[in-house]
Amino acid sequence: MSAPVLEAIAVTKDYRLGKQPIPVLRGIDLAVQPGEKLALLGTSGAGKSTLLHVLGLLDAPTTGEIRYDGERVDQRSVAERARLRHRQIGFVFQFYHLIPELTALQNVMLSGMMATSVLQYWGVRKAAKAAAIAMLEKVGLGHRLHHRPAELSGGERQRVAIARALVAEPRVILADEPTGNLDSQTANGVVELMFSIQRERGLAFVLVTHDENLARRCDRIVRLRDGAVVT
Amino acid sequence: MEEIVHALLGLQVGLTTAIALLLVVGLLLFKLLQAGSVLIAGPKYAQFLAIRYLLTRPINLVGMLGITVGVWALVVVVSLFSGVLSVLEGHLHAATGDCVATGVPPWAPWPKLDAALRDDANVAATAPRLLHYGLLVRPGHRPPPLPLPGRGALHGGDQPFLFVLGVDPAAEAEVTGFRQWLHDPAIPPELRAPDASNPLAPRDGLPTVLVGLQRMQREGLRVGDRVVWTTARLVPDSQGNATPEKLQVELVVGGAFKSAHGGFDGNNVFLALDTMRGQLAADDAQSVQEIVVRLHDAGDAALLATAERLQRALHRATERMDRGYGTVMTWREKNANFLASVEHQRGLLKIVLIVIMVIAAFLMLATLSMMVTEKTGDIGILTAMGGTPRGVTSVFLACGIVITLVGTGVGLATGCLTAVYLEEVRQAVRWATGVDLFPLDVYNLDRVPYSIEPLWLLQVTLAALAVGFLVSFLPARRASRQDPLVSLRGI
Ligand SMILES: Nc1ncnc2c1ncn2[C@@H]1O[C@H](COP(=O)(O)OP(=O)(O)O)[C@@H](O)[C@H]1O
Ligand SMILES: [Mg+2]
Repeated sequence: MSAPVLEAIAVTKDYRLGKQPIPVLRGIDLAVQPGEKLALLGTSGAGKSTLLHVLGLLDAPTTGEIRYDGERVDQRSVAERARLRHRQIGFVFQFYHLIPELTALQNVMLSGMMATSVLQYWGVRKAAKAAAIAMLEKVGLGHRLHHRPAELSGGERQRVAIARALVAEPRVILADEPTGNLDSQTANGVVELMFSIQRERGLAFVLVTHDENLARRCDRIVRLRDGAVVT
Repeated sequence: MEEIVHALLGLQVGLTTAIALLLVVGLLLFKLLQAGSVLIAGPKYAQFLAIRYLLTRPINLVGMLGITVGVWALVVVVSLFSGVLSVLEGHLHAATGDCVATGVPPWAPWPKLDAALRDDANVAATAPRLLHYGLLVRPGHRPPPLPLPGRGALHGGDQPFLFVLGVDPAAEAEVTGFRQWLHDPAIPPELRAPDASNPLAPRDGLPTVLVGLQRMQREGLRVGDRVVWTTARLVPDSQGNATPEKLQVELVVGGAFKSAHGGFDGNNVFLALDTMRGQLAADDAQSVQEIVVRLHDAGDAALLATAERLQRALHRATERMDRGYGTVMTWREKNANFLASVEHQRGLLKIVLIVIMVIAAFLMLATLSMMVTEKTGDIGILTAMGGTPRGVTSVFLACGIVITLVGTGVGLATGCLTAVYLEEVRQAVRWATGVDLFPLDVYNLDRVPYSIEPLWLLQVTLAALAVGFLVSFLPARRASRQDPLVSLRGI
C-alpha cells in the first residue's frame, strides 16, 4: 500500500463553553490513501464537520497532528496553511457557498485568483478563463456560464461548487454532506459526477454524510460517534 | 554672540520640527501607498470581488458621491478665492507701486526726498501724493445714496464718502497703473479725459477731478460737469492749536478711470497735486504725504532689501533732532491687512469645506460597514479556497480604496472643470434662477476669476485619500477578525 496523502494522528478538539472544555473530537486516527474514497459516517453532532475542518486546515486540532504527504502541517503559518488549502484541497459544502454577486463562471474563476496577484493574473487570465469554462462544461453547465447562483437550481449550484473545488486541481476533496440539501435524484447525479471525476483524476476523497446508502458506495467507511471512531 | 546662539537654537527647533513632520508625512504616505498597492500588487480576487461587490450595491455611490462633492467643493471654492486674491493682488500692486513711503512729514521738501530715494540704484521711478477726503456733490443734487446693504460694506464700493488722491499725472503714470486706468477699453469715448497726456489740466480756469467710471455712470456725470468738493482742513491758530475749518472747492469733471477693482474706483478720485497743495497746505509748497516707488527689480528678495535701504534713506533725509520720520513699506506690507482678511476668509472656507469631507468620510464608513456586515458570509468560503485573513481584509480594503480613488478623481476633474468654466456656470445659474452667484462688477471683471494651485490640489488629494483609506481600514479590520467557520457551519 502506498503512503497516505492525508493523515490525522491522535487528533482531539475541544470547544470551550465558559471555563468548561467540551470535547468534540476524542483522539481520531485516520489515513486517506491517494485515489481512495472514504466515507465519514455519523449522526448529527457526532463531530464530522469539525473533523473535516481540522483535516482541511481550517481549524487547528487541540492536540494531535495533521499530515499531508507525511509532513506535519497543522502548526505551519497562516499563510502556508492557506497555500496548502489552495493547492491540495478542494472543499464542497452542503450549502454551496457560491458568491451571489458572481456568475457561475466568475465563481469558478475566483479559485484561480486566490494565489495570484493582480499583475500575475494579467498574464494568465485567458488560460484561467478557458480552464474555468472547461471545468464548467465537464460538470454539465456549459450552458449556464453567465447565470448567477440565484438563477440556478440546487443541483446546478452544487455542480458549480464542484467545478470551483476542482479547477485548481487539488489532490484531496473534502465534501461535507454535499447532497444534504438535494432531492435524491439530483443527489444521485451530483454523486455520480463527483465519483467519476475522482476516479479519472485519482483524487483522495473524504465524504461526510449521515446517509448509509451513500456511504456504502465509497471504498471505506469510518463511523464516528461522539467524536470517536467506532470500530 | 547672543544673536548667534538664538539663531542656532531657532535653526535647531526648525530642523527638529521639519524632520518630525517629514517622518509623519513619510509614514502616512508609506501607509497610503501600501493600501493603494492592494489594487495592483494585492491578490487578484480582492480586486475582482471588490469591484463586483461595489457594482451590485448602488448604496456605495453615496459614500463615493460624498467624497466627490467634498473634493469638488474644496477645489472650486478655493480656486475661486485664489483667483479673486490674485486679481486683488494685481490691482493693489498696480495701485501702490512696488514700494511706498507713508507718513512723510509736511516740512520735508519733495525735491530732497525724491533725490534721496532716487539715489538708490534699484529705484526706477517715484511719484508724490497728497491724501485727503470729502464729499463730491453736483450743485443742485443730493449727495449719492448710501450703499446697498452688504455691498459697500463687503467690497468697499458705492459710498458717498471719498478719498481724494492728489497726484502728479506724469510721475504717477511712471509708477502705478494710472495711465492704463484712464485708457481702459470699457470707458466710453465721451467719458474719457480729452487730453490723455495731461488728464488733470485745468478746464475753464477750474481744477479738474478724475472720477471712477461706475460712479460717473451711476450719477450721470459727464466730462465738463461742475462738482463741489466739500471737506475740512485744520488751521493752526496763534497758540499752535489746530481748528477744523470747512472747505469747499469747485471742480470740473475731467474724465473717468477704471482699475481692476471696483471698490477702488468707487472710493477714490484723483486731483492734481498742486491744486490740493494750494487748498490744504498753502504754506508748505513742497510738501508731500506719500511717495510711491517703482523698482527695476521687484523680485521678493530685492523688494525687501530695497525697502530697507529706502527706509534708511528716508530717515536720513527727514532727520530732525537725531530722529527720522516716515515709513517705507513694500506693496504687500502696505496692503497686508486687506490681503490677510481675504486670505482669512479663504482659510475659514477651507475649514467649513473640510467638515464636508468629514461628513463624506462618515457616509463612506456607514456604507462600507453595512457591506462588510452583509458579506461576512463569503469570508468562510474565501478562507476555504485559500484566502488568508489578510487577503480577506484586502477585499474590503479594496472596496474602500476604489470608492476613494474614484470619488477623489471625479471630484478633482469636475472641480477643475467647474473652476475653469465658472463664468459659464454663473451665467447658466443666473439664466435659470436669476441668482447671480458672483457679482462681477464689484471687481471690474468680465469673467469669474480662478486660480488652480497645484499645491492645493495635491493637499486636497492627499487629504481625501488619507481620510478615505483610514475609513476603509476600520470595516476591513472587522472582517479580518471574523471567524471563517461561523459561516461555513451553515445555519
Ligand atoms: N464553535 C463551537 N462551539 C461549541 N461547540 C461547537 C462548536 N462547533 C461545533 N460544536 C459542537 O461540536 C459538536 C460536533 O459538531 P459538528 O462537527 O458540526 O457535528 P456534525 O457535523 O457531525 O453534525 C456538536 O455537538 C456541536 O454542538
Ligand atoms: Mg455537519
